[in-house]
Amino acid sequence: MRRGFLLASISAVCGLVSSLAMAQDKPFAGVTVNVMTQTGAIQEPLQRRAPEFEALTGAKINVIAVPFSDLYQKVLTDWASGTNSVDAAVFAPQWMVDYIAGGYLEDLTPRVEADPNIKQDDVGAFFRDFSERYNGKIYMITLDGDFHMMYYRKDVLEEAGLEVPKTWDEYLEVAKAVHGKDMNGDGTPDFGSCIAKKRNAQSYWFVTDVVGSMTQSKGTSQGAFFNTADMSPLVDNEAFRKALDFLAESTKYGPPDELNLDVSDTRPLFASGRCALNLDWGDVGTISIDPVNSKVIGKWGAAIMPGSREVLNWETGKLEPCTAETCPHAVDGVNHAPFAAFGGWGGGINAAADPKVKDAAYAFFSYMTQPEQSNQDVTVGGTGFNPYRMSQLSFSDLWKNAGMSEEEAEIYLGAINQSMSSPNMILDLRIPQNQRYQQVVLDEAISRFLAGEIDKEATVQAIEEGWNELTDEIGRDEQLEIYKATIGAS
Amino acid sequence: MTAAAGTALEVAPRASLGEWLDRHSGRIMVLPAVVILLCFAIFPLIISAYLALSRFALAPGGFTLKFIGLTNFRKLLVGSQQYHFLGTFGMLGPLQWGLMALLAVALLFLLARYLLSGEATVIGTIGRLISASVVMGLAIVGAATIAAGGVPGTLVTTLLYVAVGVIVQFLLGLGLALLCGQPIRGRNIFRVLFFIPLIVTPVGIAYTFRMLADMQKGPFAPVVRAFGISEWSWATEAWSARLMVLVGDTWQWTPFMFIVLLAAIENQPRDQVEAARLDGANGLQIFRDITWPAIAPIAATVVLIRLIEAFKIIDLPNVLTGGGPGLATESMTLHSFIAWRTQDLGGSAAVGYMLLFVSTVVCVSFFNFVVRPARRFQA
Amino acid sequence: MKSQARSLRQRLFEPTGLDRQAPVPKIATYALLLVWSLVVLVPLYWVLVTSFKLPGHVDNGPFYIPFVDFTPSLQAWDFMLLQNNTLGPYLNSVVVALASTIIAVVVGALAAYALVRTRVSVKIVTVAVFLVLLVALIAAIAIFGIPWEIALSVAAALFLIALFTIARRTRLALGNRDIEFWIISNRIMPPIVAVLPIYVMFQQLRLLDTQLALIATYTAINLPIVVWLTRDFFAAIPVDLEESAEIDGASKFRVFFTIALPLVRSGLVATFLLVLILAWNEYLLALFLSNANAQTMPVLVSAQNTTRGPQWWNMSVLIVIMIAPVIAIAAVLQKHIARGLLVGAVKG
Repeated sequence: MRRGFLLASISAVCGLVSSLAMAQDKPFAGVTVNVMTQTGAIQEPLQRRAPEFEALTGAKINVIAVPFSDLYQKVLTDWASGTNSVDAAVFAPQWMVDYIAGGYLEDLTPRVEADPNIKQDDVGAFFRDFSERYNGKIYMITLDGDFHMMYYRKDVLEEAGLEVPKTWDEYLEVAKAVHGKDMNGDGTPDFGSCIAKKRNAQSYWFVTDVVGSMTQSKGTSQGAFFNTADMSPLVDNEAFRKALDFLAESTKYGPPDELNLDVSDTRPLFASGRCALNLDWGDVGTISIDPVNSKVIGKWGAAIMPGSREVLNWETGKLEPCTAETCPHAVDGVNHAPFAAFGGWGGGINAAADPKVKDAAYAFFSYMTQPEQSNQDVTVGGTGFNPYRMSQLSFSDLWKNAGMSEEEAEIYLGAINQSMSSPNMILDLRIPQNQRYQQVVLDEAISRFLAGEIDKEATVQAIEEGWNELTDEIGRDEQLEIYKATIGAS
Repeated sequence: MTAAAGTALEVAPRASLGEWLDRHSGRIMVLPAVVILLCFAIFPLIISAYLALSRFALAPGGFTLKFIGLTNFRKLLVGSQQYHFLGTFGMLGPLQWGLMALLAVALLFLLARYLLSGEATVIGTIGRLISASVVMGLAIVGAATIAAGGVPGTLVTTLLYVAVGVIVQFLLGLGLALLCGQPIRGRNIFRVLFFIPLIVTPVGIAYTFRMLADMQKGPFAPVVRAFGISEWSWATEAWSARLMVLVGDTWQWTPFMFIVLLAAIENQPRDQVEAARLDGANGLQIFRDITWPAIAPIAATVVLIRLIEAFKIIDLPNVLTGGGPGLATESMTLHSFIAWRTQDLGGSAAVGYMLLFVSTVVCVSFFNFVVRPARRFQA
Repeated sequence: MKSQARSLRQRLFEPTGLDRQAPVPKIATYALLLVWSLVVLVPLYWVLVTSFKLPGHVDNGPFYIPFVDFTPSLQAWDFMLLQNNTLGPYLNSVVVALASTIIAVVVGALAAYALVRTRVSVKIVTVAVFLVLLVALIAAIAIFGIPWEIALSVAAALFLIALFTIARRTRLALGNRDIEFWIISNRIMPPIVAVLPIYVMFQQLRLLDTQLALIATYTAINLPIVVWLTRDFFAAIPVDLEESAEIDGASKFRVFFTIALPLVRSGLVATFLLVLILAWNEYLLALFLSNANAQTMPVLVSAQNTTRGPQWWNMSVLIVIMIAPVIAIAAVLQKHIARGLLVGAVKG
């Protein structure tokens, strides 16, 4: 018995020593990084690659997942209250501003510049130069490219002899024309247009898709939310009113419960063949090629967001036709302004974390974003990662393995490319407390408008007054400065 | 005597601690509960009060709290958030004015009767004045926002949930309890079965009902299509959305009423019931004369318990509709929650306090004017 | 011998005995009860069936019966039970619910007994002074930045001084009923009002995201209900047994534990079950106070709502494993619920 005990303790000690020795080879042995993100997509690839990363570097990545609607607050409360149990987080660049205001985010510029593997020049210009940065410094590592696109049913449009809509007016015409046709062969009438309009969900970005194409025409630095002269909201004008009309009318050609549909409902709706047109992020593409669940394989297409042949004159508040001067980036006379809604999930690091932990966290994010890993992850719908690197935009074996045909890839990746390289991409609102501007004031007003509680004029008033009240509460001059800094306006 | 004194003297030095403990046993026994509640109830209330009077902002190194007085409350009641909290006021027709006047007269009458009864106390009067004015105020706001052209805010919506929900749940629970109180077999099976909805976590119930209510993919979709109303959705209209929330709430809480009322009915004096039956009384008479008086105190108590919980409703509106369409299904707790989520801590605390105020007045009034008399009612 | 010819109407609608129902009312009763049984069972069935579905089955329209309508799959069960860390939150829920319920029942019963059988009173002046000092203490620490040790000791000293001077002079006091009312009225407070301060409190104590924090909080919010219900149980038992025990020299504590408590056993069981359910299902506070370590089941259920949409199948699995054990416990204890809750609320 005693001999057994002796043997056991010797082998234990040996095991300990050898594991220590093994660990010495890895740079981050013994380091644990707590990474917080949302449940489901985004969590999936992080959790999946954590063991690989640990095998490579010895760092243990502990992925903490919370519901999406609580992520912002949880990270903020953790950092603002000094608890600091979250070492790094994968979240939206929009929220960066509030975290930086408190000094919680680590400036990653020196690390990125010293990192050869991260291949920044492959990253889409918009993400590299705008999304990741604040005041010129890099605070986040892009893991996902988020912007809105339009999806359509090739077969339905062909059958009706309609072209892919290029403007919002054309979108409505197409929706009206095909609404009520049976698009998936089950005998029930289907819908012309499916757009998420549920309150307190992710619907409040879609109005900016429409309004932005009229408000911003001279490039990202012009901005689509506020007048850069005095921070007055670009709301009380013909463009916004037209956007509201669009939302109201498109509801007529949509599912009966469209007001209660979130993007998570419209996506499977499109994939089961019930929508002719759909506005959404890039996920619809990867969902539509899913061989198990999709009924629209080979029948769908994607395009850059519809634009407008008229643009807003900021001074007069009236719409004017596009000219070479007013719409320098117009394509065939149509001004497109693809909206990088939400900005694309990225990894940020807690400035108050341990230096070793910060290094490990950075190494992990760098690992995740490197083409070897990222290019594969963006082809899989379940990851929630959409393409953001130029190298991801060509049809490759990875896409083929994911089930995409070359033809589908050409259209889908082409649309992404067109959107991503547009010099007129809209940067999502990034001023302090942007959540209150969008999630509270804008979302609520639009929801009330669509529900018929208030009319168009009252909606415009509500948003205008609500935004002005917030700006005055937080400080007009500061907000203006920060707004101009984020979009790079002079 | 001397013997007792003797033992007392002998025991005295050692028993002093025990005796002291025993003398103060009441206070000591209550102490843990009081301390816990002080930490978790009073202390947070004070801090929340301060939050409600200030504005929260993030700043380098932490955050700042700026004292702004009653601004948050002013916003809710008369300022920029009035449409959200109270609602938008419509036109009150003559019918509504008439009802309001009737209510005012009734309240004044009750107040006068109390004052003239000779048992009036200062606290009693003040309490009744507060109750009466709050009831009147809520009635006016309610009528104004439900009237044509008006849109109810979160206050009125919450009151709707509470009032309609509790009444329906009580009636259903009572009905089921009466049915189960009949001589039937399998009463225990029904008791356990009907108890199950109470066990499911409210968040789970909310998602379940969202699944069930889906007109396209839910189990009732074929029924909906058969009736030809697949073009309409309950989620796009204010009243149908509220109704759906009430349906989920009723499903969950009726069991609570049922269980307690069934126990009460089982416990009514059987001899009286039998005697009445022998005399030829029918069911209705038995209920009115024997059953109801027997269960009245319990019924009042169970309604009070349910009332207290009903004010806090949040899971169902949040999950089913996100508070929409527009503001239709948003309850006060949801209002507070949304404000908290976007850093508006002051606004969130202010709404929370309004909820506390309204629910306290309503529940305490209910306790004093319904539960207490019901307890005395029992023969 | 009187022959009573019973008409058809009598045969249908009149009971044949004191303890029996007439046919038509009987059928009606069973029918209505059956209807409500369906109302209860349909959602539960749907949840159960959904846990065996694949995403395609949910998105492409309602499928009702496994093996008939669709091929059931164990994918959701596999994912939630084997691949996902469901055991952690489950254990958390069990521990937190059980611990907080037991503590709440013990502390609450103790307090309720005291409020029913002894004279407890606190002078109003004491309460007022306490509140004033508490506010001053918080203000001192939060606004003026005085270190909490100093502030706390000064406040404590002032309180004791006030206790022995002013309080001695006054008579006006809050009695049993008032204290009882105060304890019970804490239930009215909406959790949302108290959440953030409680969060800050635990954060200062470095107890965030621990089971202990949740246990303490749940004990506090369920205490009022325990006091409310048990108070009536104690009031209902006759005093004689306790009085005679006291005359024999037993202390109040002894009487409580050896005589009173056993007498209200069934009521305690009912209260225990009710509070257990409340703690088991609580969501809002768990959401605020837990992150990864102390996450409980309701939060896990809600977390299945991702930006990909609610993962109905996963959620259903979680709901099923949440309600299964509680149904079992309830089935065992169901007699007690009825009897217990009843005896409780009767005496005013």
